[in-house]
Amino acid sequence: MKFRPRFLALALLLSVAGVVSAQTSRGGKKLTGEQIYRQRCAACHGPQGEGSKQYGKPLTGDRSVGELARFIAQAMPPGPGRKCTGEDAQQVAQYLHGAFYSPVAQARLRPARIEVSHITVRQYRNLVADLVGSFRPATPWDERRGLRAEYFRSRRFQQRDRLLERVDPDVQFDWGTANPTGAEFDPHQFSIRWQGSVLVPDTGEYEFVVRTEHAARLWVNDLQQPVVDAWVKSGSDNEFRASLFLVGGRAYPVRLEFSKANQGVDDSGKLAGRPVKKAALRLDWRPPKRAAGPIPRHCLLPGTVSEGFVVTAAFPPDDRSMGYERSTTISKEWNDATTEAALETAGYVVEHLRDLSGAPEDAEDRPARLREFCRQFVSRAFRRPLTDDLARVYVERPFEGVSDPEAAVRRVVLGVLKSPRFLLRDLDGGAADGAETAVRLALSLWDSLPDAELTRAAAAGELATPDQVARQAERMAADPRARAKLRDFFLQWLKVDGAPELQKDPKRFPVFDPLVASDLRTSLELTLDEIVSNPDASFDRLWTDNRVFLNERLARLYGAKLPAGASFQAVDMEPEARSGVLTHPYVLASFAYADSSSPIHRGVLIARNMLGRLLRPPQQAFTPLSVELHPNLTTRERVQLQTGAKGCQTCHGLINPLGFTLERFDAIGRLRQAENGKPVDVSGAYQPSAGSAVRFADSRALAQYVVQSSEAHAAFAERLFQFLVNQPLRAFGPQAPAELSKAFEESKRNLRSLVVRSVTLAASERRPSLPQDSPVRAPSRAEVRRAPRQGEPMPMPNQ
Amino acid sequence: MNERGSRREFLRDLGVSAAALPFVLNLPSLAAGEPTRRKQRLIIMFSPNGVQVPTFWPDEVGDTFTLKESLKPLEPFQNRTLILNGVCDRVRGDGDSHMRGIGCLLTGIELFPGNVQGGSDTPAGWSSGISIDQEIKNFLQRDPATRTRFGSLEFGVMVPERADTWTRMSYSGPNKPVAPVDNPYQMFTRLYGRAKDQEHLASVLDELAEDLERVRTRVGAQDRQILDEQMALVRQLERDIQSDRGRDMGHAVPALEPGVRRDNDNMPRISKLQTDLLVSSFQADFARVATYQFTNSVGGARMRWLDINQGHHDLSHMPDSDTTSQEKLTRINKWYCEQLAYLAKRLAETPEPGGAGSLLDNTLIGWTNELGKGNSHTLNNIPFVLVGNGLGFRMGRSLKYPAVPHNRLLLSLAHGFGHRLEKFGNPDFCGAGPLNDLT
Repeated sequence: MKFRPRFLALALLLSVAGVVSAQTSRGGKKLTGEQIYRQRCAACHGPQGEGSKQYGKPLTGDRSVGELARFIAQAMPPGPGRKCTGEDAQQVAQYLHGAFYSPVAQARLRPARIEVSHITVRQYRNLVADLVGSFRPATPWDERRGLRAEYFRSRRFQQRDRLLERVDPDVQFDWGTANPTGAEFDPHQFSIRWQGSVLVPDTGEYEFVVRTEHAARLWVNDLQQPVVDAWVKSGSDNEFRASLFLVGGRAYPVRLEFSKANQGVDDSGKLAGRPVKKAALRLDWRPPKRAAGPIPRHCLLPGTVSEGFVVTAAFPPDDRSMGYERSTTISKEWNDATTEAALETAGYVVEHLRDLSGAPEDAEDRPARLREFCRQFVSRAFRRPLTDDLARVYVERPFEGVSDPEAAVRRVVLGVLKSPRFLLRDLDGGAADGAETAVRLALSLWDSLPDAELTRAAAAGELATPDQVARQAERMAADPRARAKLRDFFLQWLKVDGAPELQKDPKRFPVFDPLVASDLRTSLELTLDEIVSNPDASFDRLWTDNRVFLNERLARLYGAKLPAGASFQAVDMEPEARSGVLTHPYVLASFAYADSSSPIHRGVLIARNMLGRLLRPPQQAFTPLSVELHPNLTTRERVQLQTGAKGCQTCHGLINPLGFTLERFDAIGRLRQAENGKPVDVSGAYQPSAGSAVRFADSRALAQYVVQSSEAHAAFAERLFQFLVNQPLRAFGPQAPAELSKAFEESKRNLRSLVVRSVTLAASERRPSLPQDSPVRAPSRAEVRRAPRQGEPMPMPNQ
Repeated sequence: MNERGSRREFLRDLGVSAAALPFVLNLPSLAAGEPTRRKQRLIIMFSPNGVQVPTFWPDEVGDTFTLKESLKPLEPFQNRTLILNGVCDRVRGDGDSHMRGIGCLLTGIELFPGNVQGGSDTPAGWSSGISIDQEIKNFLQRDPATRTRFGSLEFGVMVPERADTWTRMSYSGPNKPVAPVDNPYQMFTRLYGRAKDQEHLASVLDELAEDLERVRTRVGAQDRQILDEQMALVRQLERDIQSDRGRDMGHAVPALEPGVRRDNDNMPRISKLQTDLLVSSFQADFARVATYQFTNSVGGARMRWLDINQGHHDLSHMPDSDTTSQEKLTRINKWYCEQLAYLAKRLAETPEPGGAGSLLDNTLIGWTNELGKGNSHTLNNIPFVLVGNGLGFRMGRSLKYPAVPHNRLLLSLAHGFGHRLEKFGNPDFCGAGPLNDLT
């Protein structure tokens, strides 16, 4: 893969001279840190560290006071004049660290709060799917996999010709001229029907491919209308494709019918004695950003789930500038997308109105029943019991003066899906009541609506205490939607959520083709699936487990021994080197160039995502030194050469020694002992924000350190919390980070309990209950409560 | 006539001068400075199972002729009608007559071998070529001056819900059948869905704005921005819808009789709905080409509203000597002809938007069938009844050709649009180019 070279800039390096010449003391009186700052620093950095015209960067970061003092003594103020050293540097560092530099100071300056934001794209798609789906039978699935198959000895699935029923792990058959079941009959004609569901891992466009030289039809999701209708075999067309947009973490019903026979007029009487034709059938797919291949067994379910509604409208991506998805502004693109999606949903609801509302077209009381359906729809969309007032606006008025009740339903759906009550969240700041608690649980764990049980609990007042909330959270955390969300968290934590396209230098890695890349991704996802489905999985395991899922193709490339044709299975892989998901070959290959490893990218991943360090993006892009120009250097040596300057070391002093520990793994994440004839040096080091520096012999030692580092644990807990809740952890109280970390440690870093604890914390947060929909235009209590207190500092610019 | 000869040779043989060329070939005039080319349109209407020779074909040739029972409904349009006898589907190969009859009707080329077994002959698949409606559509869509939103629309009435050789007439290419839409509501959504959506959307904006204001009063000052943004976008949407209304499609969205079920006995109502939609779509210039397929090849409509309880296809197998059946078949074809006449009437009474005359002045309807005669399954004398002045053919005549391949008629349709194809479908049947004597 090709990275845009990104080297990190100097966080604090100034290019502006104009130093205020000042004295440390005036009349023998010692100056405070603040006074020194005002005299010597504020001209460039601004009175509150917010920056100035000459130097725009706000003075914030996560260095310790000691580090800051050392840096100031060396480099500040810039230019030829006298530096601020010794006691002065210490004083000023202490001052600015406490006043505005450190994250804690920042939090104090701008108290984090629960902001009104719009639901994320993922939430939109899931909410609408579950909203429509709530009017259909719930169809949970279990651990069984494969498709239910029925075999018939005639061409059209007649019950009297049924030979057997069984579960097939997948649909990849080449029967030749044989008969598919072993039963005694002349295989001129037979037919097979597979039914079940397909479980899709990611959201996006899925291409389904049916290959056969006989008649076949495939239905996906909509069981009325086949997506592939190849019942007519014509000319040499043997391959049939259909694309569908599907939402990840969900199952969709499928049916596949196959018939080896001429269609049209029955000619079975004339077949005796004729040569038997060959027959084969394959059902493949191409998931988004993946190579095409057979639909794997773990994605096929023998039970048929209810049809799902899928919003296909394209949305702009969510704001992720905070490190998690959260959008507190509405763009025109987003607004247009919600309009498009509302129209799409309204169309679907009306088209399936009988099925969803249960009211037959010719029922006399149909208008009344549709009205009731709409009340339900509005209430579920708004995630709370419907008040008369809202029912009037969102249900009664659309029905007024419209003779066609279907048109009225269409208007109701449009109104609801464009309403701020559907699109916005946290309108009440805190969870004012049980209904809001339920909403927060469902959004955090499922990105979706409360289910029937949760709604019941809310109505029964069973979400009043944190224990009650936690009990619901535990139940919900085992749901496939929660697992899917957690899996996506890990993909984002590993920074591979965009499913980067892995391309490697074909000269150096001739075997590394798109199929290998796709298999590697599958391998990582299987690891994550295992972690998220296991209630006992811990943070430690993320760092220590050296098992990797391999199939035959991967085993061959990564030097493991598996029997021919082996499908994915967990393999104990190189325990002397591998330790945890960071050393999964997919992750290592993703953080590497096409021809060589990239300690810098790996180091940034570890520093930012795993250790929670703030690193500014580089000010300037650098091209990495070319391998050809430095044929005798190892990658480590090249990186050191390029980033050795003092200025670079401000950040690279942190990044490189972390990334170097993974130098034992090449550009495709394969183990190596030497590079360019030199043994690889995998030693590294890390200076935490607090405490003394640590040295690592290799990445396993780094993993051991992370497992013990409370700083890393806290960073992980905060990251997971914010991914789930879409609000800053500190908004839930100044003690929230410490509380969450404590609970995490107490559970021995159990992942499931961190999830439960996080969402319970977010959902139990109580604010005084607010007046609901007061028509009076007077400042609400919320307004009064939220107005900045007198003397409270205003938010800093650039924040 | 030399079937392999080029069009130029044919013209030379006829001794036609270059000046007369556009006339003969029915090309749009190339005279410089012609302000705008008139809009030209084509509708191909299909009904199945052949016709009754004695009650269908006029006895006379030329511009004086009497319409027989099956064609009586066309009397009001007789001077705009052109009846072509002697046009034969010569395409052979895989598939039975009904399959080739519909599959080669507009494509003029063989079916692929396949797995669909007919009542006789070898099994076949889809057609191996594009159909003439799609060819002309592509020609018109290539030119910005004639490009329309859909290019072509494929209407149907009671087409069975299965895709096979008997149910498809239009092909966008080899192995690419185009499914007709036989649900008027589905067609309506396709044509007017967007406009309807805007109407519904506009109707909820007031409530939305009102509720946004109420929600706004509930949240703190710091959170008002997101609501203000949404409010501004709602207002914007309101304005956008208003200005969209300004440039509508020249006519109101037609009102459709609601709740007509897809049911054999509803065929007359469905036919009317589809015809009205077809006319509206032309009025809006959504497309210049349409196909209009009643049932399918071998179609078995039971015309109980004509007191005929047997299926059409079963009846069509009855021998000529069975006069009762022949009388019923004549009534069935007359009913189809009434549908054609209603379509012609609607087009005739709809003024050409932005032009002179009526839609029928600029539209050619061609009514055809997969067979010449139902009980013999012949592909000779396929009925082609043309109505309207869309392609500049000389109308008001009854013609009898000496068994010409129908590919030549398909070529004539293309040439009528100025699309000067030299061959279409199987080149062996295009020998002498477009049919003579049409213009």
